Amino acid sequence: MGTRRYIFGKVAQAFLTLAFVMVFNFFLFRVIPGDPGALLLRGTSAFNPENVAQIQAELGLDQPLPEQFVTYVESTLTLNFGQSFFLRGQEVKEVLAGRIWPTILLIGTSTIVSAAIGLIIGIYGGWKRGSKFDVGSQGFTLFVYAMPEFWFGILVLMAFAGGIGPFPALFPAGGYETPGADLSGFAHVADVLNHLALPWFVLTIAYLGQYALIMRNSLIDVMNDDFVTTARAKGVREKQVLWRHVVPNAMLPTFTLVLLSLGFIFGGAITIEYVFSYPGLGLLTVQAIDAKDFPLLQGLFLLFSAAVIIANLVADITYSYLDPRVRAG
Amino acid sequence: MRGTRIRLAIALMLAGALASAAMAQVALAQETGSETGSTTDEKVVFTWGSTSEPSSLNPMSGYLAIDFYMWTPTYHMLLDYDKDFSTEPFGGFDAGLVTAIEFSDDLTNFRYTIRDDIVWSDGTPLTAEDVVFTMNLYKFNHAYLPSAYLDLIDGEVRLADENTIEFDTTSPTSLYKGEAPYMYMYIVPKHIYEGLEKPKQYENVPSVGSGPFYIAEYQVGEFIRLERNEYWPGPEPAIDEIIYRIYKNDDALATALRTGELDFVQLTTPNIFNSLLNEENIDTMAGTIPSFSEIGLNSGSAYQEAGDGFTPHGDGHPALTDVNVRRAIRMAINSEELLEKVQLGYGVPGTTIIPPVSVVGARWEPTGDELIAWDLEGANQLLEDSGYIDTDGDGIREMPEGSLEPGRPLEFRYFVRTSEQTSVDAAPFVSEWLSEIGIGTEVEAMTSGQLTEQINAGTFDLFSWGWFPDPEPAGTLSLFRCSERPLDGSSYGNNDAYFCNPEYDALYEQQLTEPDQETRMEIVHEMQRIYYEDAPYSIMWYDALLSAWRSDRFEGWVVQPEPEGDPLEGWSGPGEVWWKLTPVGAAGGNETSGGTGTKGLPAWIWGVAALVVVVGAVVFFARRRRPEDEDV
Repeated sequence: MGTRRYIFGKVAQAFLTLAFVMVFNFFLFRVIPGDPGALLLRGTSAFNPENVAQIQAELGLDQPLPEQFVTYVESTLTLNFGQSFFLRGQEVKEVLAGRIWPTILLIGTSTIVSAAIGLIIGIYGGWKRGSKFDVGSQGFTLFVYAMPEFWFGILVLMAFAGGIGPFPALFPAGGYETPGADLSGFAHVADVLNHLALPWFVLTIAYLGQYALIMRNSLIDVMNDDFVTTARAKGVREKQVLWRHVVPNAMLPTFTLVLLSLGFIFGGAITIEYVFSYPGLGLLTVQAIDAKDFPLLQGLFLLFSAAVIIANLVADITYSYLDPRVRAG
Repeated sequence: MRGTRIRLAIALMLAGALASAAMAQVALAQETGSETGSTTDEKVVFTWGSTSEPSSLNPMSGYLAIDFYMWTPTYHMLLDYDKDFSTEPFGGFDAGLVTAIEFSDDLTNFRYTIRDDIVWSDGTPLTAEDVVFTMNLYKFNHAYLPSAYLDLIDGEVRLADENTIEFDTTSPTSLYKGEAPYMYMYIVPKHIYEGLEKPKQYENVPSVGSGPFYIAEYQVGEFIRLERNEYWPGPEPAIDEIIYRIYKNDDALATALRTGELDFVQLTTPNIFNSLLNEENIDTMAGTIPSFSEIGLNSGSAYQEAGDGFTPHGDGHPALTDVNVRRAIRMAINSEELLEKVQLGYGVPGTTIIPPVSVVGARWEPTGDELIAWDLEGANQLLEDSGYIDTDGDGIREMPEGSLEPGRPLEFRYFVRTSEQTSVDAAPFVSEWLSEIGIGTEVEAMTSGQLTEQINAGTFDLFSWGWFPDPEPAGTLSLFRCSERPLDGSSYGNNDAYFCNPEYDALYEQQLTEPDQETRMEIVHEMQRIYYEDAPYSIMWYDALLSAWRSDRFEGWVVQPEPEGDPLEGWSGPGEVWWKLTPVGAAGGNETSGGTGTKGLPAWIWGVAALVVVVGAVVFFARRRRPEDEDV
């Protein structure tokens, strides 16, 4: 009964948050300076008051704010975000759909793999604190954590796409697939993987540092707890102390971090998408902000918010399973 | 139990990674599964790239340079630009649709004969009806770029007979005589556009084109693909497909050119362009194009007279209403050095608002005493003579007695744009020079949106921005009329320096209706002289177009203007470059360009890698199960 109420409460909370975000979304983008109509045309000979006024009318921006809000709520509830301003004629839904899969493929998989590798490094480093592995891995993880990912990205691009010095030019310099190559089946999968390889590698390396460091610190904290001493005193084998007693408790904060990171997948990785010209949602967001593309921004931010809220919800529910004290309140 | 959960969690993570990859692949397969077309090993593909995303591929609403590169192989103009921006001689396949022009003696009635041998890419013949339809569509639906060229047309364009269109003008004019390619517009198919409820919102992909190619596919943020128009009656192109790829940065573009992923690139970063200069198999060209970057001054938004809809607004510095202060600022800006330091020498030092690359005869070049040359001493003297003296010895001059605000120091706000690195890079130089003539500046970087607001509100002193004018001067000159000022602080206007001169406005009207083209150009020159001498803009430079290409891939570039301009003949319709480009060394033109091939590891290596990962994971988890069995 307690569990059911807990879950129901969390789901209701998630829905309320989402509703708030939806309302906030509308007003947030309208306070950014600059008019979309003027921004679309400034710098061209098409920029004149008539054209700006016509764009405003076409985009519904000449309507009073309350009217725009009603239209916005109606269309959002039916998941019809309207047409993008700067990608004229394209439905926001279609634009988002085109970018979601490349984003999940790149950022989703690299987040998960970097978390898995990072956790393992953190566990072994923390367990063998002060060992050669710990010193080495800590140096490495601190370095990759502090390293600007775009800088590493450019180096990797120059080395493995450009082929500088001893490095072979193995992979394409950018994009998601080879345009016009008409590939299908496994050849197409390989083409996508070839485009994915470099940005994926950079992101996986760049992300794993945070997981390793947090896992290591968390593990060291837990290792000093009384129940660990008790387990050892009972004669439990070291490996089992680690995997049965230390790691599960040390995992709690790390697990939350991992789940929340998954919620941010849709936000994309702007700098890496930029370096490797990868068509993800991160770069799309930057373009949409530059152009004050309200419909696209609203669609994007609703997607981002929903993903984070759902990830939070999953984290809350999973946490209550991993640590029953949470559920008991 | 907990240990099992952790391993389960890690296993789930890996499974999640594989699953999301698999899901993405399935989605991808579904997307690409609907595509048609066959693979031919002999396909010749010209692949090029830049960092520009199109604004629209529909000529009703597109306005960016990159949109035009998609239209030059796809559509015809009425009158085409020749390589020197004069009117392309009639009749050739690289000419526009007009084969003859007749006009009344009073220059108010014009009849254009339209060629009858062009066929749209869906097999429908292109007729004079398409031309009539398009011109009326643009005029009455306010197409963004083309409609300005139709302003003087009185009422509708009509069909005079099967191959002739006819229209009247509201006043006599020489603009439609064909001496200059005045109507910069692409003719679209009536049978596609006439049924559209919102023609400006039409995506136009795939397009129906009249040129040697048509737009077949557009993946936003990734690429645009053009295929051959099989009904094209002109010279057969050696290229089967044109692919334009959108990269996000110049580093990646240069890398892709070096490795042969791309055949041609346009760059915006001079130092990356420089890195390609001595590369094997790569040729480069820094061409001149119609474009300029300026420092604009608030020449009086708060002080000009009200009238004709204009209300004084804003808080621009009163000293900038004085032409001598504006001229002193112009004299303090060293265009040559800016070009050298900021643009690494690429481009042309700036003077007047009509760039060196424009319609033949349109540009006025200040010479001798007309030239406001870089002269810090002269600028200091001019300010001194005008009464701007540094009375308190702080290095900043103050406004003289009898001026709008006596004693106010010459300290100006100077806004630059975050989205344009060169505008940010130029600021320290300009600030330093201005400080040497006793003018203080406070530089602030902001987004284009913020700057637009500041300009409309008149709450600025100096700003840095730029224009991409059409080669025909009328459009550019129209921007600086009194009526184009932001009118009241909240509405929009092109005339961002608030320049207002009734003589200039009268000359603008006069050049539109001047029957003689040579006399018209004299008026155009006079307008440039007035604007230059009044100095509301200090034009820093005319931008260069930085192109680079694989010399071992294609040859037959058509450079516009010659000798150093745009190798892709960007101001044309249809562009002959699209049938003159041929693979190097391929007489028959049947050699596959490297741009078509995929790059990366072969599929079997990925297969082996996937197998290794799966086997490794299985072994890892199998090994980890053992201690669990021995739990205490």
